[in-house]
Amino acid sequence: MRPRGLLHLARLDLRADWKGAALNGAAACVGAAALAFFVALGGGVGDAARRMFPGETRLVEVVPSSVSLGAALGGGALDDESLARLATVEGVAGAFRKLNLRVPISASRPPEGVALNWPEGLTVQVPVIGVDPGLVRQDLAPGRWFEDRGAGEPIPVVASARLVEVYNKTIAPSWNLRRLPPGGALLGLQFRVRIGHSIVPLKTEDRVVEGRLLLAGFSERVPLYTLAMPLQAARRLNEEYRKPFQGYSAATLQAARPDDVPRVAAAVRRMGFSVDESDRAMAERVGAVVSLTAGALAFLALVMCALAALAIGQSMAASVRGRVKDIAILQAVGATAADVRALVLAEAALVGLGGGAAGAALARLAALAADAAAARVLPDFPFRPESFFAFAPWLDALAVGVAVISALAGALAPAALAARVDPARTIS
Amino acid sequence: MIELRSIRKRFRDADREHTVLDGLDLEVRPGEVVAVVGPSGSGKSTLLYVTGGLDGDFEGQAVVAGRALSRLGPVERAAFRNQAVGFVFQSFNLLPALPAVENVLLPGLFSRAAPALALRTLEESALAALGRVGLADKAHKLPARLSGGERQRVAIARALLARPRVLLADEPTGNLDTASGASIIALFQELARGGMTVLVVTHEERVSAVADRVLHLEGGRLR
Repeated sequence: MRPRGLLHLARLDLRADWKGAALNGAAACVGAAALAFFVALGGGVGDAARRMFPGETRLVEVVPSSVSLGAALGGGALDDESLARLATVEGVAGAFRKLNLRVPISASRPPEGVALNWPEGLTVQVPVIGVDPGLVRQDLAPGRWFEDRGAGEPIPVVASARLVEVYNKTIAPSWNLRRLPPGGALLGLQFRVRIGHSIVPLKTEDRVVEGRLLLAGFSERVPLYTLAMPLQAARRLNEEYRKPFQGYSAATLQAARPDDVPRVAAAVRRMGFSVDESDRAMAERVGAVVSLTAGALAFLALVMCALAALAIGQSMAASVRGRVKDIAILQAVGATAADVRALVLAEAALVGLGGGAAGAALARLAALAADAAAARVLPDFPFRPESFFAFAPWLDALAVGVAVISALAGALAPAALAARVDPARTIS
Repeated sequence: MIELRSIRKRFRDADREHTVLDGLDLEVRPGEVVAVVGPSGSGKSTLLYVTGGLDGDFEGQAVVAGRALSRLGPVERAAFRNQAVGFVFQSFNLLPALPAVENVLLPGLFSRAAPALALRTLEESALAALGRVGLADKAHKLPARLSGGERQRVAIARALLARPRVLLADEPTGNLDTASGASIIALFQELARGGMTVLVVTHEERVSAVADRVLHLEGGRLR
């Protein structure tokens, strides 16, 4: 039987038994909707988690080992010599130094140019780390510079890309402060700070000077509550305040490819250094939990698809039993067993197609409803997404495809049953 | 034409075996109307199903419309039913959910003849076949909305769609009133005059009365 004729007849059969077709379509629809809904939910929550815990897959954070066996084994302090050796490890595309600023910096007023209701008398400590400019160069705003231009000049800083969001959603509400505008609007702002001053008793240096920090960009490579300044600036301030160089506090190695990371980390450990995997481990743990949950939900949806297939199978088997005479008539006018089998499967495919398309649409409607409910019920926490669902372009095709496959799987036995009809015994 | 030689057909019922056709011979020439009569259960319908390739499980030689049925596999037998013979049944055997025209074009959907006909062409052929049996104006009615005679004429139109050389009719007037039955019989005569081989199984004298030959099926053989 030719495909066009097959579809024509299948369509006529479904129209004749539209109630049964609608019931089967509903079963396929529920399975497809559940699959699309849960996969989209997993994707949406995963995206939110990745924004909350960004983990760059190519970076390896090297720190001095807490138990150093000395230079004989190549470990110990992270200095320029060891950095040079780390940079030659196979798979390393770049090595960036990090140096803790050991001079306290505090701020007692808001950034200049921002209408912030800064509480009277409030002073905050500003944790700062010096970094090689190459680490954050890609995140600098166009036209911004990131270098130390000497004492008296503003020091450029790069903040965590997550800082504004966390500030706006947690610090601002709890301190009753105005929210900051989006990150881009803050670029170029200057903060008046006191270098050498600490809010911790006895930690303020003998010399406290006024200075200015210039916000040059936002980067995922800067820790959440820390500002990054050029390494040169950190080194200069440490020297000005007679803080002797004790080695770099850390180094960030950039692997050429994500696949190189395990090899690079192993080489780093062999050289006697430690690898700080806390950020990566957190990101991986969160990713694993999200993946596991999404996988479990998708599995649940697949179980629902399997149940839909069973329901469709039961229903179609009953339908085939109810129209054995019709099938015998088709055989009398020239249908082969294969034609009959194909006809039942074509009916199932059409049911799956319709049910799957309806299911994909239903999933989007359900997602809209869930987002609307979440907007009413959930508090405005940091990185709360506009939507908890990510409908990838392929998801509709997946939903429809799984619905068609479920319907076809359910129809296999009924199709075989139909193909076994003996026209000579049935038609008389 | 139809040429059956030493046809033997057995049915197994639980532990017992029934021989329904027992060395049956039959020859029907093109343009001939042959009526087979006999009591219920004598095997008239079985004879028709064997002749029409619906039942391929028999012994003997059957050559119908130039094809040796015992040599045909299931797919070839289906093609034979589709192209070479047309069936007409007592209970019409129309698909109740399809309008008359869709019932008539069914054989076209299963045709393996090349080139494939478009659905529109098939529908035109079906309408022409309905016109041939006087039902052009009822093409889009469901079988339930047609009288018994009209339904049987739809069934005949379906049987004629592929222009077969042999028409096999199983009690074609059994469910029809006198007038409708007469019109069906007249239609068969007309088809036979056009060169079609017509084998009719019937109880009814009005059918056998117009046949060229009347054969009695008894004890599994024709007399």
